[in-house]
Amino acid sequence: MDESKPTLVLNHISKTFGDFTAVSDLSLQVKPGRVFGLIGPNGAGKTTTIRMIVNIMVPDTGSIELLGQRMTNALQDRIGYLPEERGLYKKMKVGEQLRFFAELKDVTGKEADARIDKWLAKLQLSDWKEKRTKELSKGMQQKVQFITSVIHDPDLLILDEPFSGLDPVNVDIMKDTILELRNTNKTIILSTHQMEIAEKLCDDVCMINRSHKVLDGKLREIRRSFSRNAVALQFEGDDGLLNDPELVASMRRVGEDLEVLLVPGGNPQTLLKRLVESGVVISKFELVEPTLHDIFIEKVREVA
Amino acid sequence: MKKLFAVVKREYVQRVRTKFFVIATILGPVLMGAFTVVPALMFGMKSGGPTRVVIIDQTGKLYARVARELQTGRERPSKRETPRPPLQPAVGPGASREQIKQAGRMTEASFVIEEAHLGDRSLEEVKKDLESRIQRHDIDGYVILPPDLLKDGRPEFRARNAADVFTRENVENAIGKAVRSQRLVDAGIKEEAVQQASEPVDLKSVGETGQESKGEAGFFLALGMGIWIYMSVLLYGQVVLGAVIEEKETRIAEILFSSMRSFPLMMGKLIGVSLVALTQMGIWGAAFLAFSAWAAGGSSINLPHVAPIVFVYLGMFFLMGYFIYSTVYAVVGSMVTTTQEGGQLAMPVVLMLVAGFFLSFNIIRNPNSTLAFWASMFPFFAPITMLVRIVTETPPLWQILLSLVIGFATAIGLIWLASRIYRVGMLMTGKKATIPEVMRWIRQS
Repeated sequence: MDESKPTLVLNHISKTFGDFTAVSDLSLQVKPGRVFGLIGPNGAGKTTTIRMIVNIMVPDTGSIELLGQRMTNALQDRIGYLPEERGLYKKMKVGEQLRFFAELKDVTGKEADARIDKWLAKLQLSDWKEKRTKELSKGMQQKVQFITSVIHDPDLLILDEPFSGLDPVNVDIMKDTILELRNTNKTIILSTHQMEIAEKLCDDVCMINRSHKVLDGKLREIRRSFSRNAVALQFEGDDGLLNDPELVASMRRVGEDLEVLLVPGGNPQTLLKRLVESGVVISKFELVEPTLHDIFIEKVREVA
Repeated sequence: MKKLFAVVKREYVQRVRTKFFVIATILGPVLMGAFTVVPALMFGMKSGGPTRVVIIDQTGKLYARVARELQTGRERPSKRETPRPPLQPAVGPGASREQIKQAGRMTEASFVIEEAHLGDRSLEEVKKDLESRIQRHDIDGYVILPPDLLKDGRPEFRARNAADVFTRENVENAIGKAVRSQRLVDAGIKEEAVQQASEPVDLKSVGETGQESKGEAGFFLALGMGIWIYMSVLLYGQVVLGAVIEEKETRIAEILFSSMRSFPLMMGKLIGVSLVALTQMGIWGAAFLAFSAWAAGGSSINLPHVAPIVFVYLGMFFLMGYFIYSTVYAVVGSMVTTTQEGGQLAMPVVLMLVAGFFLSFNIIRNPNSTLAFWASMFPFFAPITMLVRIVTETPPLWQILLSLVIGFATAIGLIWLASRIYRVGMLMTGKKATIPEVMRWIRQS
């Protein structure tokens, strides 16, 4: 995957509004066939970054390339965008609404109709085609909005908080759809402040905080590099050996688990062996990977 | 271009299908008619029965004359006894002032006259007595004709409602006529000759071709068209304002801007709504033509004759005004968060439209004055003022064309400027933008 040409390249882009710096010297590359997570807390600069990518705003400095070309209005048609703040014409019928947004992306005629029907069926909305948008539930409206972002079969799909307000069933439908699109070699940018979602879906991530990039890379590699040599344990019996300062640095309870942080260089296998030898009954022994949340907190502390 | 068309189509189809459009299209002419006629009727109407007036005639000669004038003076006396008009004369938007006046007269209650004699009481006592009758709502007023009235005395009129200018005028006229007639009779002229001498003259005003022209109908036509432009521009401006605020508040703007530039977006929106307006005008125009065809076939309603080219101009100047003012509304809409705020912010500009309307009163009287010329070249006034000139006294073609060119050029310049503000404004939410901010947006985008 590393060899494939990136779909989107941001070169040192910055954007300020008066005294406020929204995005500062941000560079990143997004590759096809992958889900790219743009993560950070609210107000970190995610939405401004996205608005520059979709050419609603122009960066003060730096450049944006899509599919190897400098960003232009014509290239806007290659992008699908689901904004964080959803917006649909309340009084329009669902079918007409989709038709209008398809036309805005230069998809017209029978082609547009066919795609609309296909997507409505896929997201279980076919019965609602002739209903006015305001009659739909919030979750359904969100799915309609999602269709507007994919109706023109874009190369780059940008989803800003796509799961907010969806029930679990629809979250799953949405996740499956996103992964399906990824598997057809589309490029997907997923912007969210919910780290757990990013963890499950993203292949690559870029973390931003207060307009600055904190770190980016492949999710797996990032997690490995932040591995803290911790083990989650559940057992019954004498826990005396955990007090050995040459093996265990610290312990804490996390729910049912006892999370044990080994001393630097300590080997989890040694711990397992000694636990078995000591005769305790082990019901759980698991290496703990750091969550994105933990990594983010750590990185932000480091920078500060 | 395709995208612009998509926006135009959406705006048009969505609006024409609404119940509001259907209702407004049907009610529009009815309301227009009502706005023209009802105030005239209301003004002329005198509710609450006849006016009861007591006359104290100290000359001893005039009571009979004044009473007669008051009771009959509003119709032509004696020989020229024309058949009475029908009880409710037809009054339409094109009715002449005479018709409206007549309608007013029909509903205006007549006078009930009573003579008060001084006898051996003093004038002051009688007045006191009459005052108390006014207080008791027994009478509405009294008139004192002083003994020296036929020389140089001034009659007095005391009315409970001093603001009722119609009654005042009627009384004044009646006394005036009575005094003049009496003076002539006193000078030895025969009563009959006096009657003949006071016959009014009926002025016939003619147009270029020598045909009798209804000057007053022209006046009302010009005014009606001015009002119509004024109302439609405001109405459709509000439609644009509402549409823009909807897109801003529902955040649809973000998706729109991620698909197209703001200039074609704004253009598409304005064109779409203008087509709605033209559709409505078309329906009204067709209805008007059908109505006049029916009227020409023997009904008594007299519609003013309007040259077809006037309708073309009406459409063009409406579009000019619409594009200028709606652009302002669109910009305002992108700067505010609610329609109410938008209305306030647009007020200074809308006042220009009002100014244009008031200027047209002067222009109707002097359609070729320097003021009229400049007012009809200034694009914010021209939609009303130039149209008024065309209806009253058509100016040279070059002036009309120049006015249109200036107007549409202004509109396009405004739309261009506005689309720059629009793009930034539509993405700002939560608070109203200030003017310095807007100036920065123009420079930045």
